Amino acid sequence: MKTAHEIRPGNVIMLDGSPWVVQKTDTTRSGRNAAIVKLKLKNVLLDSGTEQTFKGEDKLDDIVLERLDCTYSYFADPMYVFMDEEYNQYDVEADNLGDAADYIVDGIEDVCQVTFYEGKAISVELPIHITREVIYTEPSARGDTSGKVMKPATITGGGIVAVADFVKVGDKIEIDSRTGEFKKRV
Amino acid sequence: MPIVYASFLSNQQMSVNSPYTTHHHWDIFCTVVDNYGDIGVTWRLAKQLVAEYDIPINLWVDDLLSFSHILPMLKPHKAQQHFNGVNIFHWGKPLKVDFEAGIVVIEAFGCELPSQVKTVLEQRHQHPQTLAPIWLNLEYLSAEEWVDGCHGLPSSQPNGVKKWFYFPGFTVNTGGLICERDLFSQRDEWQADPKHKLALFKQLGLQGINLQDTVISVFSYDTPALMALCEWWQTSTTPIHALIPQGRSLHSLVSLLPCPVEYLIPGQQIKLGNLTLHILPMTDQNDFDRLLWSCDFNIVRGEDSFLRAQWAAKPFIWHIYPQEDDYHLVKLQAFMQIYCDNLAPEIATTWSEVNLAFNQGNANAVVTHWQHLNSVNVSLMQHAIQWPINALKDADLASRLVQFVDKI
Repeated sequence: MKTAHEIRPGNVIMLDGSPWVVQKTDTTRSGRNAAIVKLKLKNVLLDSGTEQTFKGEDKLDDIVLERLDCTYSYFADPMYVFMDEEYNQYDVEADNLGDAADYIVDGIEDVCQVTFYEGKAISVELPIHITREVIYTEPSARGDTSGKVMKPATITGGGIVAVADFVKVGDKIEIDSRTGEFKKRV
Repeated sequence: MPIVYASFLSNQQMSVNSPYTTHHHWDIFCTVVDNYGDIGVTWRLAKQLVAEYDIPINLWVDDLLSFSHILPMLKPHKAQQHFNGVNIFHWGKPLKVDFEAGIVVIEAFGCELPSQVKTVLEQRHQHPQTLAPIWLNLEYLSAEEWVDGCHGLPSSQPNGVKKWFYFPGFTVNTGGLICERDLFSQRDEWQADPKHKLALFKQLGLQGINLQDTVISVFSYDTPALMALCEWWQTSTTPIHALIPQGRSLHSLVSLLPCPVEYLIPGQQIKLGNLTLHILPMTDQNDFDRLLWSCDFNIVRGEDSFLRAQWAAKPFIWHIYPQEDDYHLVKLQAFMQIYCDNLAPEIATTWSEVNLAFNQGNANAVVTHWQHLNSVNVSLMQHAIQWPINALKDADLASRLVQFVDKI
């Protein structure tokens, strides 16, 4: 069991007797600091989707399925193709990647975990910390070096990340793939 | 009885072996966290569901002593009582009164339901011949955008029972705002005759308040901003009366008081230049509403008094419940944005700055921006009158809640 707060995109949880792949998680705060977690889910068996909301400390039955370390190979619309160490290829539907798709671009070397259900690749989990290059951001406006002033930056693949004001075009930055949060300049 | 609820009952009662023919009540569970906020909201909702929808309500409360401050006739040591048509039960651990499932079970503000109740919900869920009560989590009010996307979503629990998240809010995609059907007409009638407020002040033991004086109610958490405002009000050229109940607001004003806070008595006055502090007695919810209607400005906190101050059609400061990492400021900002949506920029800025400074405990800033309020007071007053109509939109929380239950 995991708490709703610990659930990540790519996890598979049992709800109402069916396995659901978590496509997206949104954590917000209700009154008195309580976390509220909204999950976007896809039924692995029926291919149908739903959204549910949980308290952060609610226990969810995450199921341990077969997983393989893979690297991203290429995109064949609408499938992302991953490859294991023995050069076997696995297709994962773009829908099942959720927000992780923003970080999957040609040339990445991250070792991802592909999850299988009854032989079918159903989801992908990125490493928690990933490194991406900033391809566009405005120059530092105030010369801030504290890291507290933030600005938007476009990273390889087109995703937008809020980064510290001192980050420049061409910098490589570390991002938390669960939250999309900027961690540091690499 | 509104048509919506009548149809809901008839639909349910057609079910074979439905328990609803005899147990068609709703249960509301509330843990008292901060004296009057959580219980204030649930008590209002319970009364309204009984009065306007004829729904039998069982209200389970873990701290009847705190509850008795807003319902003075309540006996804190009694396990079961009945007021305003609501059955009030002491929520002991374990429950002292057997729980019998009705149509709806509401856990207010994510409180953890008693294990006996969860067991009943699970048992009902496992036996298709009995309909399980609809399980709702009534959440806190927030103006943040994410509320629209989370309101009304299910939450499948490990025992197989489905719970539903119900979020109050300011948009049509949320669960709405608590507001009784006749509240605005009662308020208008009250505010139309100044004799009403003078009579109320007299009833509350508040002396020396004249019609032309400025009267400000204060129901905040501790903050140095309140001290700064009181020091400023002392220098006012016209009389100002600050009406403050025993509690956290007064702890911010210790250096102004003639004795420790706990020795102050309701009705006591402390004269400080042109400011008079009046110690307010605790009132029930009806008198609290009338108090807000009677003041020129209200400083309120949390959720219940925050909403009632909006319905009072008077300018106000909202002292929001403080959260870790100053997250409450995000929630404050979200509310200020919608409250100021159609306000002229200079009025919006002034009102927002006062609220922000008060919540940040910024003594200098709150006084500076308070002074600016005078220049926008007429427009702000007009906005305060129009706001309740805009905010309520087409339906209040209770009516949306009954419709929501009907649709599940």
